[in-house]
Amino acid sequence: MTIRGGAPGERGPAGAGDDLADLLSRIAARDAAAFAALYKQTSAKLYGVVARILTRGDVAADVLQEAYVRIWEKAGEFDPLKGSPLAWMATIARNRALDEVRRVRPLSLEDQPEGFEPAAEEIDPLAARERSEGLAALVDCLKALDEEKRAAVLLAYYRGLSREALAKRFGRPVPTIKTWLHRSLSQLRDCLAS
Amino acid sequence: MTISPDDDFAAAEYALGTLDPSERATLAARRLREPELDEAIRGWEARLAPLAEAAPALEPPRDLLPAIEARIGGASPEARGDATVVTLRRSLARWRATAIAASIIAAMLAIGFFAREATRQAAPREYVAILQKDAASPAFEVTVNLDKQELTVRPVAARAPPGKSYELWIIDAKLGAPRSLGVVGETPRAANLSAYDPAVVADATYAVTVEPPGGSPDGKPSGPPVFVGKLIPVAP
Repeated sequence: MTIRGGAPGERGPAGAGDDLADLLSRIAARDAAAFAALYKQTSAKLYGVVARILTRGDVAADVLQEAYVRIWEKAGEFDPLKGSPLAWMATIARNRALDEVRRVRPLSLEDQPEGFEPAAEEIDPLAARERSEGLAALVDCLKALDEEKRAAVLLAYYRGLSREALAKRFGRPVPTIKTWLHRSLSQLRDCLAS
Repeated sequence: MTISPDDDFAAAEYALGTLDPSERATLAARRLREPELDEAIRGWEARLAPLAEAAPALEPPRDLLPAIEARIGGASPEARGDATVVTLRRSLARWRATAIAASIIAAMLAIGFFAREATRQAAPREYVAILQKDAASPAFEVTVNLDKQELTVRPVAARAPPGKSYELWIIDAKLGAPRSLGVVGETPRAANLSAYDPAVVADATYAVTVEPPGGSPDGKPSGPPVFVGKLIPVAP
């Protein structure tokens, strides 16, 4: 299986990836100073990921905390051949956030007070000025999706919207959303592999 | 790669985050046993991960780093450089300034960590079980940390019938009758396992029964289990 999105050489601007990878290997050797440095460089980025999924600040802070504990524990498992350090850390943080939001009583958009409009700040990676190789490849493939289907994938990724929430959002039945997601995801996979 | 197209879609939706809670819990349990599924999930995570770059940064609350350092504060002393000690000391000083209680907690965490390190063995120390009626309806997630001698039970999609309570039991031939681990409600809760042999804990069956409100009146299950499961080791 080729994982184009995680190709080597994918890293942030100005060689920042090198520093983070170096910090992670020091953290794997239990270097707490390296951990503090990593936190300073990356916490706002990871908080940006989890706080948009978990809209309650106290929950988002707890999840961020747990994510960094995991990063400390698993730093030795980071493999630079499989993706950038930031992508690896963001995946850990985002998974924790999703586990939280997909519990029995999810604290999610569905629980937002009336009138809250998350669309007010929608994230558009297509407009991102700085792009790593990995993001550039993904953006090219996202551009090939229909606008609505692309929006559904991005809302799921950035806001943690469930199929039900997406169905409400787009005024379509849940099975339609499921079909959208499956088509979009396999289109993305084929595009990234080509 | 021999994963079915359905499983690959499930893996993709797991990575994207759109599975509903019970599907997500089922897949989380399956990936522990099915390396190909796990690899498919990792593949999808890697495909989507570059998107995180485009999420605008948000400043987290200020006091988080010391709290995290307290939780990881037990870094093994031989591998810990001087810089680390200074950082930790600085954090400790900061906590003392605000609350003595915080440093007591930090110390307790550190002691707990060293005790845990001392008893670390090659055998798995963390386990998870999904208690379910059948494969399609997971109800509770049970995690066990043998080092902490602690069990955590977390409802996935379970709500007790009106006027009834769910009660969790540990069942093993070596224990004789089922032993109660307490009533489980709609929020996660922890139970102490220090009274049980770790080998029994790892091997036992965990079951949930329907009981009168507040749990079984006589310490015995009132009926057959409605959800059951066994622990499987979590990769260390």
